[in-house]
Amino acid sequence: MSYQGEREPRVLKHRLSSRLFHWGLVLGFIPAAITGFIIWLKPGSEEFVNMAMKVHIIGAAILTVAVISYSSVSINRIVAFIRQISEWGYNDFKWMMVGGGYAHKMILKKEISVPPMGKLNSGQKSMGILMFHGGIFLLFSGWILYSFIPLAPKELIYWLDFGHLWIGVFLGLCTLAHIFLGIYNWEDFKAMFGDGTIPLSVAQHHNPLWVERDIESVQKDHKSDSEVIPV
Amino acid sequence: MASYDYVEKAVKVSRREFLQVVGVAGAVMWSGAYIATDLIQDRSKYIKMRAQGIYKDDAKAKVRQSHNNQALNEMYSKFAQKPLSPLSEELFHTRYTDRTKLG
Repeated sequence: MSYQGEREPRVLKHRLSSRLFHWGLVLGFIPAAITGFIIWLKPGSEEFVNMAMKVHIIGAAILTVAVISYSSVSINRIVAFIRQISEWGYNDFKWMMVGGGYAHKMILKKEISVPPMGKLNSGQKSMGILMFHGGIFLLFSGWILYSFIPLAPKELIYWLDFGHLWIGVFLGLCTLAHIFLGIYNWEDFKAMFGDGTIPLSVAQHHNPLWVERDIESVQKDHKSDSEVIPV
Repeated sequence: MASYDYVEKAVKVSRREFLQVVGVAGAVMWSGAYIATDLIQDRSKYIKMRAQGIYKDDAKAKVRQSHNNQALNEMYSKFAQKPLSPLSEELFHTRYTDRTKLG
């Protein structure tokens, strides 16, 4: 069976373990973020806020299990992610100065040239840095607030609560932007919630450096997600 | 099942990187566990010491029953009339708040 000529070549962008972890974030972080705003702003009755706190804790538990599982199974993906978000250069500065050209595309309906990016663009790298460090802080501070309020020093609890609230609010708003841009980049959205693949031409357009440096052709007998050893 | 023609090259994790990630994660978790158990140990120790102190004071005390406490009886006779009087109720009785509500 020939793949060439039948359809456009595709590249596996998000592996199964990463897609499952992303589902963990969807089912854990989003309910925790929404209920976090409810607990903060208290828009309803006491029972409603109480229920929101229960959902918040369940969301945090799902998120914790997802983080521990992914870290245990795919430590190489964690290392790859840390490498990606730590790689900054002049191109990132130029990309940030034009906002990746998204404002031009969405508002002015015109495309401008942007510096070539790797697997993550500069905006995604910024988001990655915030989510990585902020997420770890939210998880630890949340479980300490859940378990150790009667035991821990009051000053520590005050600052953990303060940080949990404001970092949570900030990351919650960042996630709103992430969801919007995720849907806007429809091919990537389909890949993350589907089979993990995007057309090669899309990857060449959005991630030219990644295509140039970091991907390789697969053998014909190793073309399915389950047959390729995940890295 | 997904089919694709290109895949990201295998990520090679050097021993140094592996030790860095596992080391940082381990140190954070170990520190957290140490702090948590230390707090619980301290708490248990202080509760035990407090209880021992109270028993010691009781053992030393000449008057060991509150209804024989001279200062307390004087307070009731001069001020709060008697135990469970409306004024005693108002001033001394504890009110509880339902803390099972999380929000």
